[in-house]
Amino acid sequence: MSAATKQAQTLARHLFNLSLAEGTVSAERVQGVLAYVEKTAPANAVLVLKAYHRLVAIELARRVALVEHAGSVEASVLKSIAAAMTQHYGRTITAASKANPGLIAGLRVRVGDDVYEASIAGRLQALANAS
Amino acid sequence: MSTVLEQIEQQIAKLSTKSVKKNTGTIRAIADGVAKIDGLSDVMYNEMVQFPGGAIGIALNLEEDEVGCVILGDVAGLKEGDEVQTTGRLLSVPVGKALLGRVVDALGQPVDGKGPIDSKEFYPVEKIAPGIIVRKSVSQPLFTGITAIDSMIPIGRGQRELIIGDRGTGKTTIAIDTIINQARINRIGLASGDKNFRPVYSIYVAIGQKNSNIVRTMTALEAAGALEYTIIVAAPAADNPANQYLAPYSGAAMGEWFMENGMDALIVYDDLSKHAVAYRQISLILKRPSGREAFPGDVFYLHSRLLERAARLDGKGSLTALPIIETLAGDLSAYIPTNVISITDGQIFLETDLFNQGIRPAVSVGLSVSRVGSSAQIKATKQVAGKLKGELAQFRELAAFAQFGADLDAKTKAQLDRGGRIVELFKQPQLNPIPIELQATFLWAMQKNYFDDIDVKKIVGASAKLREFFTTRKQPLLDKIRTKAAIDAELDAELKTACDEWKAGFKA
Repeated sequence: MSAATKQAQTLARHLFNLSLAEGTVSAERVQGVLAYVEKTAPANAVLVLKAYHRLVAIELARRVALVEHAGSVEASVLKSIAAAMTQHYGRTITAASKANPGLIAGLRVRVGDDVYEASIAGRLQALANAS
Repeated sequence: MSTVLEQIEQQIAKLSTKSVKKNTGTIRAIADGVAKIDGLSDVMYNEMVQFPGGAIGIALNLEEDEVGCVILGDVAGLKEGDEVQTTGRLLSVPVGKALLGRVVDALGQPVDGKGPIDSKEFYPVEKIAPGIIVRKSVSQPLFTGITAIDSMIPIGRGQRELIIGDRGTGKTTIAIDTIINQARINRIGLASGDKNFRPVYSIYVAIGQKNSNIVRTMTALEAAGALEYTIIVAAPAADNPANQYLAPYSGAAMGEWFMENGMDALIVYDDLSKHAVAYRQISLILKRPSGREAFPGDVFYLHSRLLERAARLDGKGSLTALPIIETLAGDLSAYIPTNVISITDGQIFLETDLFNQGIRPAVSVGLSVSRVGSSAQIKATKQVAGKLKGELAQFRELAAFAQFGADLDAKTKAQLDRGGRIVELFKQPQLNPIPIELQATFLWAMQKNYFDDIDVKKIVGASAKLREFFTTRKQPLLDKIRTKAAIDAELDAELKTACDEWKAGFKA
């Protein structure tokens, strides 16, 4: 890792910490950070913003349960998934749905790095890996 | 009937809603067998990570934003953005007797084309070495079949004895001879039906070697009938460095199974210089800070944690380690040699000069040592070879002094003469280990001056003839020496009679 990248990452992490309000990413603060970057134009601004974007994206993904589904999913299911995940992780998690016909049937829920696999495609993959 | 169908449907419904939790990440960068991964927030140090296409990796660097993984297997199909997932398991290899006679890779998978290995047990590759309480001091001998070693630098079960020397000095040969000798002893011991007999199983770990060399070793072991008691773990030069780094630990895990189950095992690491180089490569790619000779800071720990796993356990078995180190121009003070010398319980130093003079095995008596000492020798060997090391060391000093052509007194001349004979007596062809009882006989003959009137150049032939005489005509006497493991007055008399008989019929 070059010195410039390291420096950019350190600044990005610092800016990310400033973007948090009560442990969650605040849209207001993010705007403030972007305005600051535009105004001061730090060295390697592109690198800083890319690293910052990555950190914000990771944090936002931790707060969303992305429900991939092959068929249709009712709003009540999404709601119950959000409630269950909120209880499990101890932080507020909202649910978002995304159609994915590749799953064949069933659901796949993604919260940050964790994936809850309950789809046919996932089971077929598990079978393929086991053989 | 409908209730039955409902029950089945309910069961299907239960199964279809069962979810599996995975912790995932995505490949951010991949190069030289190392992947940098985003995510994997739950990954543990040294945990196996599943890559797409069946390749697995090991998480070695857990950083704030990313995870550094070495990849074992084919990396050709992997690309940036691929999803990887944790397995929750530490890297394990199959262990057990089913592996005997097989050639496996660093992950314990067969590479000899003899079909799958039916092994039910798995041991983790990385394991904490046995502690102080469970260990027992080394006191049982492990015969190499090489007279110079068994008589002067004895190795005991559970010991770590380093074999060190330049390239082409016969380091591997000593290890292979030792494995062949274990197989020979195993065959005799198991055939005797002695319940107290403890066979020694061998594990040969080839690290960074040419495939042709591994085949040669395998063929030599097979020809000597030793392969059936041996596991070969091969991580050849063409393998990726991660496999070369892991192979010794995999071998140690296989050896530990024997040790934990009350059996004795011998493991040869051939060689740890290449192992250190493979680890250096991985560490540099993982961007770990480098130190002396660009090796990472934990290169000592790399070998100490491996060699500490060799032990003799109280109430269980033992694991004896014979690590091999290749030096450059005989430099013992280089980084890796000094590290491994300090970890092991002694070293067998092989010298290029001796090798080129035709003294093979080219063991340097002055620089070789076994810290376990005579506690790993049988009484018979102690009786006949107790003073040999001192005599030979004195001879080397005197020989160097005598090169100046100074006039020598009779005592010095006698010492030189005797030393010359001992050197000749220790010459031994490769792949030809000598049973300990046979070693005792010709060393006894030497102590009793049976070789004194034979021309020095003919000592090798005379000793071979003496051995032949004993094996063909005095087998009962050899059996007695082996079972008694000491030379008492009765055996002494019998040896005298036998040697007189041989001498009478001997023509140089």
